[in-house]
Amino acid sequence: MTHFIQTLISGLSLGSIYALIALGYTMVYGIAKMLNFAHGDVIMIGAYTGIIAVLTAGMPPVAAVFLCVAVCTLLGVLIERFAYKPLRKASPLSVLITAIGVSYLLQNVALIAFGSQQKAFPSLITLPAVTVGGISIDGITILTLAVTAVIMIALTLFINKTKLGKAMRAVSEDKGAAELMGISVDRTITMTFAIGSALAAFASIFYGMTYVYIKPTTGAMPGIKAFTAAVFGGIGSVPGAMLGGIMLGLIEQFSKTYISTLWADAIVFSVLVLVLIVKPSGLLGKTVREKV
Amino acid sequence: MKKKVFAFVMAAVMVFTMAACGNNDTPANTDADGADSVIKIGGIGPLTGSYANYGISVKNGAEVAVEEINANGGINGMQIELQFQDSQGDPESAVNAYGKLMDWGMDVSLGGVFSGETASIVAAANEDDVMLITPSGSADGCIAGNDKAFRVCFYDSFQGAAAANYIQENGLATEVGVFYESDYDYSVGLYNSFTEQCAANGITIKETQTFTTSTNTDFSTQINALVASGVKVVFMPIYAEEASTFLTQAKGKFADDVYFFGADGLDGILGKVEQDPSIANNVLMLTPFAADSTDPAVQSFVKKYQTAYNAVPDQFAADAYDAVYTIKTAVEKAGTTSGAALAQVMTEITVEGITGKMTWGADGNTDKPASAILYYDGVGSLFDAQ
Amino acid sequence: MEKIKKSIPLNRDYVTLAVVVVIYGVVAVMLYGGGLTRQVSNMLIPISVYIVLAVSLNLVVGLLGELSLGHAGFMSVGLFTGCLLSIALSSVLPMPVRLPLSMIFGGLFAALFGFLVGLPALRLKGDYLAIVTLACGEIIKNIITNLNITGGALGLNTNAIYSNSKKLLPYAFVLVCLTILVMANLKSSKQGRAIMAIRDNRIAAESIGINITYFKLAVFVIAAFFAGAAGTLYGHFFANVKAASFDYNMSIEILVIVVLGGMGSVSGSIIAAIVLQALPEVSRAFGDYRMLVYAIVLILVMLATNNPKVKLMLEQYKNRKNRRKGAGKEET
Repeated sequence: MTHFIQTLISGLSLGSIYALIALGYTMVYGIAKMLNFAHGDVIMIGAYTGIIAVLTAGMPPVAAVFLCVAVCTLLGVLIERFAYKPLRKASPLSVLITAIGVSYLLQNVALIAFGSQQKAFPSLITLPAVTVGGISIDGITILTLAVTAVIMIALTLFINKTKLGKAMRAVSEDKGAAELMGISVDRTITMTFAIGSALAAFASIFYGMTYVYIKPTTGAMPGIKAFTAAVFGGIGSVPGAMLGGIMLGLIEQFSKTYISTLWADAIVFSVLVLVLIVKPSGLLGKTVREKV
Repeated sequence: MKKKVFAFVMAAVMVFTMAACGNNDTPANTDADGADSVIKIGGIGPLTGSYANYGISVKNGAEVAVEEINANGGINGMQIELQFQDSQGDPESAVNAYGKLMDWGMDVSLGGVFSGETASIVAAANEDDVMLITPSGSADGCIAGNDKAFRVCFYDSFQGAAAANYIQENGLATEVGVFYESDYDYSVGLYNSFTEQCAANGITIKETQTFTTSTNTDFSTQINALVASGVKVVFMPIYAEEASTFLTQAKGKFADDVYFFGADGLDGILGKVEQDPSIANNVLMLTPFAADSTDPAVQSFVKKYQTAYNAVPDQFAADAYDAVYTIKTAVEKAGTTSGAALAQVMTEITVEGITGKMTWGADGNTDKPASAILYYDGVGSLFDAQ
Repeated sequence: MEKIKKSIPLNRDYVTLAVVVVIYGVVAVMLYGGGLTRQVSNMLIPISVYIVLAVSLNLVVGLLGELSLGHAGFMSVGLFTGCLLSIALSSVLPMPVRLPLSMIFGGLFAALFGFLVGLPALRLKGDYLAIVTLACGEIIKNIITNLNITGGALGLNTNAIYSNSKKLLPYAFVLVCLTILVMANLKSSKQGRAIMAIRDNRIAAESIGINITYFKLAVFVIAAFFAGAAGTLYGHFFANVKAASFDYNMSIEILVIVVLGGMGSVSGSIIAAIVLQALPEVSRAFGDYRMLVYAIVLILVMLATNNPKVKLMLEQYKNRKNRRKGAGKEET
């Protein structure tokens, strides 16, 4: 039983990170209709920013968090402006290849700038572990879950209640019609990227505090898995991203504990394939019929 | 048009096949051995990319040896030239690098820094009659199939067995846990021989946990399982980078008297946990080389290395240093750089290196005594089991 | 006029083939005559393999318009099955029989995996398909690493079948030519036009009765076959092969070749394969910057080919060339 609960907790811990990343994915994919492969790598850059801010520049944690958010947001907007915007009318294949290119670009710039050796992320806050019935839960895990939930609620309210959120939904529904209604599609998409990348900054901070070591390739795998989580939950659905992320984290940890760590890769990727094939509309998403 | 093209193709194919049949293989390295006034030693390894630290250590260690030998009159009066090619740790790139070194006129090869690199050129070196001595390619199979290939470092199956013996001889534990990287040859090689020797020594492996290159960030389930098993020794034949991730996540979860036992891959662990050296507490490392040894030869090497590169040499550097001196001893004895002649004397010579006293078997392996270093609060010292 | 238009792509790919044959001829004369340095001769087999990989991936990316990020996985399947067969037969059959047989065997096995991975392609397209192929490549890697017969993580010892460039070049030559021939024939055939119709407008293609399921699967199977055969050849060039080398990064490397050479262009893929393989050798100091340059190449090529101004220029250039060709034809 202890084993089960421990696995549950580590699943929640991993899942909450996936959920946080998936929120950013679902925003961008839901509205701009493109797979931003580089989202995971924005997280990696955010984490390096945190390391430099605290360890090299000696900034206080709060200032470091703000800097992280600022850097990630700016990076997201720049990527959108220079790589994706010129391709708005191009084929999805071109956009996808460009996104892969951007992902590689960020990874290799980080490789040259920071080296291939992993760097330790500073512990911004020390939270006491909560012990319930002999099982301790890391303070960071609880905080991550709480922050993810708060962001999820805020994001849902933002999309449904504000004018800008309405504009985003309109762009997601039909770019052409939105344009005709006087919505600036370009500005809305830029906004989406800004918000998605700001979320990436939060993901980078929590990733850093949970897993400590950061490498240039740190963002790649969590990024791909979080995309699956977003699809699992229903792409474009904010609560779906949270649900999908946590589900994926639990599946990964339970299969590692109860099946085998030898086959962990195959299991995780099989889940990914199954989700994409069997339930491409996701748990909370709506099935979109193709317009003929 | 179509017919014309077809004919064209056929003609070319014919020319091609004729060319293919008409020419027998000639050795590419035709320079007369011994006629040169220099001996060219070529090395291959990652000088850039994710594993650059290993390649650079080997290169630096070899350079220290070459400078020393050249300053003392060279080998049989001939100076040594060393060329090191960057492979980024990629076996495919190592093949090209090998070609480049052969064009340069390499007489003796230092093989590749990694087993994969060494394995990818070992067959070609055999054909070219070039002796190969890898400082650090430890996988059992990486010098197989070539009786002119040798190594300085431990071989993986020796290290795994040595670790199992060490645990038994020092009475560390009768029940152990294992944590290894299931898709990495070094880790699997040690794991295999460790389990085999444990069975022979009557040590029970109570818990086995693994990870792969793409799942090397979250070890929480593995740590939970190892803690739950209650073992007092966790054998982890992995590299320092993953070990630091594991130890960081495991901090405070294991009992205070649990040892984390690893092999040469753990070299450099302290550098990975600079933010909190106590993470590496209770790490035991099996090694043939300790930079803080009082042996004058070791001290002289460490001093020269530190002056030249401003770093403490690790095992890779020491192995490379010994490899160059081994080449010197062998060439002096054989009086030539021909691979076959060198291979013959290799099994006859004894080299007193900074990594221990070495003799070689026909399989290219050397057995050296291994000692263990224990890390505590950022200091490594020779482990002494009471 | 109608006829001329049709024959243009056909001619161009055959010209490519002829040029390739000539190049191989020259290279062979130099290689066997001893005029090539070891560094260059060691590059011949990898370059040939990458040409086959790029041209076959171009089938999927350029012709079908879908992104496959698991091409290295297919190659890996072919490499291990083909090499295992070759090792088993190494004392029975001479190389001229054994190697082609192994390459066909490896290719068929890879094609089988292409079929299995292609099945999801029936339901998916675009981003989802790309992620699924990536995942399948990683699953293949995980499976091969955990099998005993393939040597697992220690890698397969291929010493028994190792051959150098001189011995392997004729086989590489035939494989490259076959790949180009198949691609050229397919492009100019009815089936090829059906595949391109799916790429350009799936719904319209379906409405005129093109069997999308069949063609998508066929493309995946053919591409995987050639990747597998190339893999078997590749395995013969090394003394030890590990599944871990054939990962997602390698798939991306092949994709970079296809994109740089131009999607759908056979000659482009070949030139790009040679350039990108030779470039790091020209300057080994390039090291750290190689992948960075690849990334920039991917982005810039995409931006340039989708830039309206560049597109217009290309169109004008093509029109002018066609007009000149057309005029020439009418005269004779």
